[in-house]
Amino acid sequence: MLFQRKYVLALRRALYKYRYRKRSKGGEQEGEEMIKTENLTKEYNGNKAVDGLNLEIAEGDIFGFLGPNGAGKSTTILMLVGMIEPTEGKCIINEIEVARNPLKVKAIIGYLPEDVGFYGNMTAEQNLDYFARFYAMDANERKKRIEELLELVQLDGVSQKVGGYSRGMNQRLGLAQALLNDPKVLFLDEPTANLDPEGVFQYREQIKQLSDEGKTIFISSHILAEVSKVCNTIGIISKGTLIARGTLEELKNEFGRVGTENLRIIVETIEPLPEIEHEDIISAEYSEAKRKVVIESKSDLRDYISSELFEKGVKVKEMRMEEPTLEDVFLSVYRR
Amino acid sequence: MEAKGLFNVARKEFIGHLTSKKFIVILGLFLIISALAMHQGMDYYNNRLENYKEQISQIKDVEGIEPGYMPEKPTIMLVFMFMSSYIMMLGAILAIAMGFDLVSKEKETKSLKSLLSCPVFRDEIINGKALGGTLALVFAMGTALLISLAMLLIFSIVPSMNELATILVFGIVSIVFLLAYFAIALMMSTVSGDSGSALIYTLVIFFILGSLLPLVGPTVAGMVTGEPPERPAFHIQHETDESEGPSIKEVSEEEMQQYQEELRAYWEKRRPITEAFNIISPNMNYQKISFLISNPQIYSAVYEQSSPFTSTGYFTGGGEAPGLQEVLGKVWKNILALIIFSVVFFAIAYVKFMRLDIR
Repeated sequence: MLFQRKYVLALRRALYKYRYRKRSKGGEQEGEEMIKTENLTKEYNGNKAVDGLNLEIAEGDIFGFLGPNGAGKSTTILMLVGMIEPTEGKCIINEIEVARNPLKVKAIIGYLPEDVGFYGNMTAEQNLDYFARFYAMDANERKKRIEELLELVQLDGVSQKVGGYSRGMNQRLGLAQALLNDPKVLFLDEPTANLDPEGVFQYREQIKQLSDEGKTIFISSHILAEVSKVCNTIGIISKGTLIARGTLEELKNEFGRVGTENLRIIVETIEPLPEIEHEDIISAEYSEAKRKVVIESKSDLRDYISSELFEKGVKVKEMRMEEPTLEDVFLSVYRR
Repeated sequence: MEAKGLFNVARKEFIGHLTSKKFIVILGLFLIISALAMHQGMDYYNNRLENYKEQISQIKDVEGIEPGYMPEKPTIMLVFMFMSSYIMMLGAILAIAMGFDLVSKEKETKSLKSLLSCPVFRDEIINGKALGGTLALVFAMGTALLISLAMLLIFSIVPSMNELATILVFGIVSIVFLLAYFAIALMMSTVSGDSGSALIYTLVIFFILGSLLPLVGPTVAGMVTGEPPERPAFHIQHETDESEGPSIKEVSEEEMQQYQEELRAYWEKRRPITEAFNIISPNMNYQKISFLISNPQIYSAVYEQSSPFTSTGYFTGGGEAPGLQEVLGKVWKNILALIIFSVVFFAIAYVKFMRLDIR
């Protein structure tokens, strides 16, 4: 079983590499390459947390990095932000190799760690001022930037010390800290984990705004809905290996149909439904006094159903084909 | 290495120490107790000074006193001898309190990741922490010395230039002693998973180095060298004539000389064993240095003669007190041991921090 799974993963990786290269050659990639990893590997006591990871992310992309706990997401980010050194391979950001020039890289990136922490005996402003002093900013610049950022994350006017902050406030302060140096690339590790719905909404707005400014954003998360809402490309990692990559649409097309090749069409009408017959229909389940049917078919029959119902004078309230969610894609990738 | 990051970290740590409640409380306690010790020391000094004056006036009155003999004039460093015992306890606790959570707390609160995401080298962080802590200790010790000097002046005791130089040396040695415990605490903070464990391990080391080793040294020396030779003080002789009863016979000169030789050999054998244990105890090193600096005359009588007692069984004092340079020449090994302590434990903290797994 284990051998089979390894074999499938290896095949999938080879397939992904082939496709990605083809797409790059075909000029589909939009901007310049901003983040790149080559055969990135990290071993802990002989166990590979990240195993030969090859990743290319274009400038201006919002890249969602998905994977279950222990898949190697955080280890990958830590290598990308220069906090740990890879055992093998390299990370390149904006054409700078991270392990060789970690400080140069840190000067152009921002990083929001999972469970971000600060100095509890200092205010938000004091914390940010301490971190800002590591960048080439004079006192006036620091003051101005800190004011802007505290306003952005809605912590302006909060005079209490950070030790008394809620986790959500800490997270917001973390985003402000990650943006201190107006970074070209932003790494966010589980950015919405501690936010309330209002905070999540604001976070999405901020990400949109940052993306409009041309920043490349790398988001690691296991909240699939969140990734599907803000990211334009997605990578799925398992056991330290990238097993799928593409836009959400591409992934849905490739992995969306969980355990079946059939389509599900849902039809709701005002009048009771007549019997719908077609050779491609596998099953039809009627409910709500025959005013709703879920049809499983071999092909997209929406045109056919629509004309059938029109001919029989049945008014359609809603007709849709069930779309696979990112969760379906995610589960599909793991179950294959 | 870029110094900008180092000074930024050191600045933050220094301000952090000075504004932290635990530092303020322990420093306050340390200063109050130091002031009380100074007061106690000044009483002692004044008494000794009175005695000295009395002896001088007696010498002038009494005829036939050896012209070379003069009683020892007390030095104001006696005042600091009282202070050193409190530094050894409260000062060490202050140093431990400052260092035990320097790294572990950053790991616990996850602020270390935020810090490391900035363009700063790891060595700048650990060096900055050490520098900030050192400056805070210098501040604490400097404040204590300034208060003590102010108290001396209030009590109309004006130190001479030589005494001021000695006070400065005393202050520097005290800082080096405090740094040894600060380095141990910093090392434990880097090695331990959490601040609680770091504090416990540091206190265990403090107990071993400060209390256990000074006891182990003499015990081991006693086991190796055995009992000291018995003093042939008086012989009780039973006379044959019962009416006269037992008579006491004086010890002969020859017997006494032999005993002295044996005693000298005993102490010569015992001293290196005790010193070997003492040299690895910051407390014993500091005690020896501060005692010698504050009371060189008594020290040389106790530690430098083969036996602290004369053939008559009395303590030998008197003689010319050694100068500061001579004193430093005698304790350079102990000062070096204190410096080595700080360097070794800081080096371990440094190496461990550079390899710290940030996950």
